[in-house]
Amino acid sequence: MTETVGARGFAQHATLRALFFGFLKVSLLGFGGGLVWARRIVVERQRWVDDREFAEILTLCQIMPGPNIVGITTCVGSRLRGPVGAVAAVAGFILIPWTIGLSLGSLYLRFGHLAVLQNILGGLSAAAAGLMIATGVRLLIPYRSRRTALLFAALAFTGMAFVKLPLLVVLLGLAPLSIAVAGVASARAS
Amino acid sequence: MKSPSASLALAAHLALLSSISFGGFPSVLPGVHSLVTANGWATDREFADFFAISQVVPGPNMILMMSFVGLKVGGLPGAIASALATFGPPCLMYYTSYRLWDRFRDRPWQQTVRRGLAPLTIGLVIAGGYVMARTADVGWRSAMVTAAAVGLMLGTRLSPLWILMSGGVLGGLGLLAPGE
Repeated sequence: MTETVGARGFAQHATLRALFFGFLKVSLLGFGGGLVWARRIVVERQRWVDDREFAEILTLCQIMPGPNIVGITTCVGSRLRGPVGAVAAVAGFILIPWTIGLSLGSLYLRFGHLAVLQNILGGLSAAAAGLMIATGVRLLIPYRSRRTALLFAALAFTGMAFVKLPLLVVLLGLAPLSIAVAGVASARAS
Repeated sequence: MKSPSASLALAAHLALLSSISFGGFPSVLPGVHSLVTANGWATDREFADFFAISQVVPGPNMILMMSFVGLKVGGLPGAIASALATFGPPCLMYYTSYRLWDRFRDRPWQQTVRRGLAPLTIGLVIAGGYVMARTADVGWRSAMVTAAAVGLMLGTRLSPLWILMSGGVLGGLGLLAPGE
């Protein structure tokens, strides 16, 4: 057991360079939803955190104000290398992609009304939506044996997708119930 | 209309809005919209275009969208100011709250809170994908692409990049246009 392995077993040592380029990749590939790539690179490729911890970080980022993926970037960077890690990860996420995006966007503002372009974008977004759904399903796998967890995931989905409630309303409405049920379950287990 | 004072005013407002954007930056988009149009910084049409473009180009989309507004208002310095105002304050808050959260990681109450909140978060992610699919959908063919993407992502180790590109190619060939 070396000191690079954290108390929670899964944490790996990451160089600042790896953090910078890891999140650069998340940002550049993150068409239509950076979350797909954040999970793929942070959990599957680099194994910086596991699915459970990734879901926890995502939860924290959804509660806090701001762009969620930037939050994940900040938290994972900070988790692995402290403040310097957070800066390296956020710099990787923003610097180069922002420059590219602003240049491409200025071009698109001029030439973006071509029909072919619109069709390609339509196909891309349909596929991107599927990837997003699959990422959510993957995150749910560690909870598959807890029936109440599945129930609350389904309720949150319904409130957002079908009833079309604002995100904050869904979270604030369901969170106390879900936490209470989790509390009862762990009290019973111990 | 490229004035430094307008850029500063925009950045100050964005910093405020990003600090209260609970539930992600899109939740304050209506606020940004009224701010921008009321000041005559961009028209409705331009605002919608900024949104569409930011969804299309790779990179941090909400930060980019605000940068397009900044670019319009104050050129490159305006764009940079807007970007900083959009991600700076939330970054500091994320960092501080994560540190606090991590300090109490082993307390039983925190484990309970985590176990209660995580399923909700995941349900919201899946809902996000569903809502996106509904806006992207122009017919059953697009729905098939979405379903195929779910299947390939879960059932194979194929890189998502190939799945995205296949969707783009099918769309570009005009195969996803709503028939019948």
